[in-house]
Amino acid sequence: MGEVVLKGVGKSYGNVVAVRDVNLTIKDQEFVVLVGPSGCGKSTTLRMIAGLEEITAGVIAIGGRVVNQLPPKDRDIAMVFQNYALYQHMSVRDNLAFGLRNRKVPEAEINKQIAYAVKTLGIEPLLERRPRQLSGGQQQRVALGRCLVRNPAVFLFDEPLSNLDAQLRSAMRLELKELRKRVPTTSIYVTHDQVEAMTLGDRIVVMKDGLVQQVGTPLELYRKPANQFVAGFIGSPAMNFIPMQVATTETDATLSAAGLTLKLNGERAAVLRKSGARDIVFGARPQHFVLNGAGSGLLPFQATLSTSEQLGDQQLLDARVGDTPIRIAGVDPFLRLDDGVNLPLGVIAENIHLFDSKTGLALT
Amino acid sequence: MTAASSTELSLPPVRKGFWAMLAPGGGKMLFALAAIAIAFLFAFPVLWLFLTSIRPESGVYYVHRGTEFTWHNYLEVIQQENIYKAFWNSFAISTLATILSLGVTVTSGYMLSRFKGPIPDTWFSLIYVLRCIPYISWVLPLFFVTRQWGIFDTYWGLLLPHVAVHICFFSWIMKGFFDGIDPSMEYAALIDGCSRWGAFFRVAMPAALPGMTALAILCWLYTWNEFLFALLLTSHKTPILTVVMAQFVHELGMEWHLMSSTAILALIPALIVTIFGQKYVIRGLRV
Repeated sequence: MGEVVLKGVGKSYGNVVAVRDVNLTIKDQEFVVLVGPSGCGKSTTLRMIAGLEEITAGVIAIGGRVVNQLPPKDRDIAMVFQNYALYQHMSVRDNLAFGLRNRKVPEAEINKQIAYAVKTLGIEPLLERRPRQLSGGQQQRVALGRCLVRNPAVFLFDEPLSNLDAQLRSAMRLELKELRKRVPTTSIYVTHDQVEAMTLGDRIVVMKDGLVQQVGTPLELYRKPANQFVAGFIGSPAMNFIPMQVATTETDATLSAAGLTLKLNGERAAVLRKSGARDIVFGARPQHFVLNGAGSGLLPFQATLSTSEQLGDQQLLDARVGDTPIRIAGVDPFLRLDDGVNLPLGVIAENIHLFDSKTGLALT
Repeated sequence: MTAASSTELSLPPVRKGFWAMLAPGGGKMLFALAAIAIAFLFAFPVLWLFLTSIRPESGVYYVHRGTEFTWHNYLEVIQQENIYKAFWNSFAISTLATILSLGVTVTSGYMLSRFKGPIPDTWFSLIYVLRCIPYISWVLPLFFVTRQWGIFDTYWGLLLPHVAVHICFFSWIMKGFFDGIDPSMEYAALIDGCSRWGAFFRVAMPAALPGMTALAILCWLYTWNEFLFALLLTSHKTPILTVVMAQFVHELGMEWHLMSSTAILALIPALIVTIFGQKYVIRGLRV
């Protein structure tokens, strides 16, 4: 069983706290992605699970066994590194066999495991080559193979695709997903790329400044971000934020900013009334705007077009509401719009997000 | 005129000046000549040394004149028993010093590269300070220390100072080699079942092998050619080649012809090491 439990895990270097109070239970065979900007503590957390970094607070258990004091080799894990970390002085075959030989596995068994791994990853012709004779994608496959042959309880991935070019990265992402189906091992995957996180993870852990911001499925994070940071981090292009003032009455709430007034009623108004917040941040994803939109379920407002970006399948519009820049995605690529034109917009009411401007927390 | 014709394509401007005056390929020729001249500048003393070594005693001051050549100097040198001893001692000291100092340098360079904390910091400062001390100022204290310890004019009396100097100088270079090796390879080894030492011996060290080889060669050559320590820390019991060579200058005169032929003989092992090693030295220094 490859269940991984983190209880109150923290890491500090002297007075500098890198990770604080991480509580997380990763179920057996689950694929969890740690995501966040650089310096958020995601890699440190992974390295603590691997045993490459000492834990200064809390407990980590793998497969029901507390591993705080165990060296990496006794934790029953395998890890793929950002720069592959293949042993440069060994052939691919020896790279794959290294871990097994250290564990005194009989040669016949090693050969069987290697045969299985190279078949799974399609790297049979590379077995006798040296790592430096391989392309980035091939090296990445060998690094994956080194994990597969060991058949460990947990796979750890430390930004494994970030050294590959964009095209290869998306191809490898698919391969990882395929591999995942064939070898359903508990996996913890660190990345700063939210697209990787969304596409690969069963659940995603968003981190910032050493703190876990939210844990949830990709859809949960996208639809119900717990705070403004998560809302801005997940989704591409990033969510639009407009600081607004709130005025509530018995039945509805009015949000106002320079050049923009929105009227909310029903549940949203009740939420605002209950919170008593005066200053909030209004959030809407670029995909949730409708051009020339009016009608029920849409909140109408006006924006001025700054510029448009043609992507072929759609246009991205950069516009201004008062002083605040916003982006609008999914606009008909054949629509001709002149810069500076007034855009009558509607935003889908059920998809808007409201955040407390002080704490950044979502108002729900 | 239209706008298009005003931006007519034009040939690149003709180069003027010194290089343009040369015939085609003249630049390359000039460069080759300069390279040969510089090489000759370095080779000339060795050439002169060789010429001196095959001149009779009477001809050493007129190497550029006369046509009298002889191998007799070499015969005379190799008939001296002391020379064999000196050759062997120099070889043994160079080899032992290389082995001992590399043993310490590799681990110390690795520590400086991979570990942070008070011990590496202190060690780093210590070798930094020791490096700054002028080489010559070590000699006299070392003379007294080796006398005091009773290792004057023994292998240990010369080996220990050499190893100490090498450690100070080469730990830095070794640190540089290890800095160039990605530590995640060792992390992978730790996960793959190695201990910290195992990761060092089985993964980091093989990766640093080109650097280590380069260092070993430099270390060997340095010790082989070293004169000052050998002169002051050894005497008759442990003759060292460089010192024996210098002893051809004595109160009765200067036997340049014998000194030259000994020097040429001493050059041979160093030349062999250099020829075999230059590939590694260049590769190592490129790591």
